[in-house]
Amino acid sequence: MLLVRLYPATWRARYGAELEALILEASAGGRVPWRTRADVVRAAARERVHAALGGSAPDRVRASASVVLWAWAAFVVAGVGVQKYSEHWQSATPAGSRELPAAAFDALVVTAGIGSVLVLAGIAATVPSLAALLRAGGWPRIRRPVTAALVLAATLVPATIGLVLWAHRLTEAQRNGHDALYTGIGAAWGLLVLATLVGWTRAATATAAHLDLPPAVLRLEARLAAALAVAMAVMTAATAVWWASLAAAGTVSSLAPQLVVAGVLMLLATVVAAGAAGRGLRAA
Amino acid sequence: MARENDPPLLILTSLASGPKHGYALQQDIEAFAGVRLGPGTLYGAVARLEERGLIEPAGPAGRRRPYRLTAAGAESLETTIASMRAIVTEGSARLARAGVALAGGLA
Repeated sequence: MLLVRLYPATWRARYGAELEALILEASAGGRVPWRTRADVVRAAARERVHAALGGSAPDRVRASASVVLWAWAAFVVAGVGVQKYSEHWQSATPAGSRELPAAAFDALVVTAGIGSVLVLAGIAATVPSLAALLRAGGWPRIRRPVTAALVLAATLVPATIGLVLWAHRLTEAQRNGHDALYTGIGAAWGLLVLATLVGWTRAATATAAHLDLPPAVLRLEARLAAALAVAMAVMTAATAVWWASLAAAGTVSSLAPQLVVAGVLMLLATVVAAGAAGRGLRAA
Repeated sequence: MARENDPPLLILTSLASGPKHGYALQQDIEAFAGVRLGPGTLYGAVARLEERGLIEPAGPAGRRRPYRLTAAGAESLETTIASMRAIVTEGSARLARAGVALAGGLA
């Protein structure tokens, strides 16, 4: 219903179906009176102002956790860039200069694992609310983003298997830029990975907007989001130390474009996540 | 007197007799207060009351989800009613005195 679409998305996700039912019942299934339309338009405007000023505490926690999740997705993209660049750094670095970058790189990898566990814990904590939503017939409300994410994942799995099988038949030179077809398909696969990451992040945040999360779960989500922001800060610092120590050893350029782009993206994602996590903790 | 400018109070009063969904709230409020809250006004107030922990859903999510008073909501309603009762008592007493004075003046 067009009238209900005037409300902010979060409000609509929570009360939209009920409001629409009331409008239809109050209009006895006939034409919606102008007085009712005007009332809904006024109320929707008030909700937009309320949302702009911060919304309810649960909405603020949900919104901040969603921002942190999007920041994490951006961070993962940057991390893949660093990982791709760092594939052969140990063999290219003199043995005497490996200790510090190795420690920084280990810290990066371990913290990346911790960050992934935090994300999974945040998702796991919402499972009872998701089950309640599905039992209450909420599937149509989340069908579109979840189906899109599933289709992307279902495309990515065979594409990855095919690419890996193909890569095993190629020489190292062909795998490293000397086969135009492999390079082009590899780039397309990278875009598919990116689309899948975006698709699942969108599915998770869109689903979260429809969930009734108990206060204890909201507090947990706020803390997990804050811990994830801290993990991102640690990873950004570890990447900077790794990069600077390799640059000092002459292994990489201090202005390597791929690392500059990845580093800037990591830093931006960390700043955004830290700000959002702080807002979530204050609201929880 | 119907208090059109106080939808939260009307909703709390309605829910004092038991859980109701949106349409039942609208009908009940119209019956006891003579005020027909528009759907937007009603759900705006429902959202604020739920945000403040004064009401809560009494059933699963759905198009006709009922709401009920929480303990904090019942306490808030009692406080408001006590405050209104004090105003009513004082107003009645003053009107009575004014009535006597007015009657004396006319005599």
